[in-house]
Amino acid sequence: MGIHVLDIDRALTMAKILGLDLIGIDSNNSVRIKPLENIILRMDKKYPIADYYPHLIVADNIKLLDGKTDLFVIDPFQKKDTIKRKSKRGLGIEISIVSTKKLDGSMTGKWIKEVKSIYEFCKSNHCQFILSSGATSINEMVSARTFDSILKFMGISPKNYWKEISEWLYSKDKARWIHAKS
Amino acid sequence: MLNHRDKRRYVAVMYDENSIFRPIQLHEKIVGRFKELFGILHAELAMLKLYDYEFGNILFIGCKLKYLDYLLVSLSMTQPSLTVVSLSGTLKKLRKNVATLNFRNIKNNAS
Repeated sequence: MGIHVLDIDRALTMAKILGLDLIGIDSNNSVRIKPLENIILRMDKKYPIADYYPHLIVADNIKLLDGKTDLFVIDPFQKKDTIKRKSKRGLGIEISIVSTKKLDGSMTGKWIKEVKSIYEFCKSNHCQFILSSGATSINEMVSARTFDSILKFMGISPKNYWKEISEWLYSKDKARWIHAKS
Repeated sequence: MLNHRDKRRYVAVMYDENSIFRPIQLHEKIVGRFKELFGILHAELAMLKLYDYEFGNILFIGCKLKYLDYLLVSLSMTQPSLTVVSLSGTLKKLRKNVATLNFRNIKNNAS
């Protein structure tokens, strides 16, 4: 989840190598993407293209967080009070690993501590915790096995994590189909 | 005394082919990051070792199995970006795995 690359074909080849079944690709109305089973479009608002593809409405600013938002990208160091007030059941809360690359050891430790607290928050508020690579190039993509190690290190069961995220994605898609049919 | 050898794991790590760092420098960065995150003692016990680096923009790094998760965490949090593309219990198998990966489609990666 959370790839911001322009070359989708290369990202998909890389995803296969890395053992990732599904990747999130940043998209807006102008981007033309072939229908593929293993991508989910990430968009800031619902564009017409969203009627034909699996998609998530993503916000990275608390002011833009509303009832239509599926996924909120959070910086673990930002204040969480507003999120606590504005979060709703089923909201995905995403944290990108890429930001840790520039942090020193001490700050990385704090980052992990904050991520753990966000995970606890998600658990108690029925939100979906999502760890993403935040990759802007294929070199920044993270393998499934590496995600497992990071999760284990944070005390999160990788098995449960992948199960929950799959169910959450399925529920998002299912809701849309029901909406489309009615 | 029993002749006991700790199990090792070998990882193939892809780096940006336009990187200004040489494989040995990248290995130093990985070890440095490991030490920074998990301490000098664990870094020594993990026995991180650089093997091949003549395989395009792929590094082969080995460590003790017990510290594999620490190595993978360190790799994901290292600058410049490094991606684990394969993992194996033997170097021979790892080389074979990497040789079968379809890297031609993802080279010249720019973004």
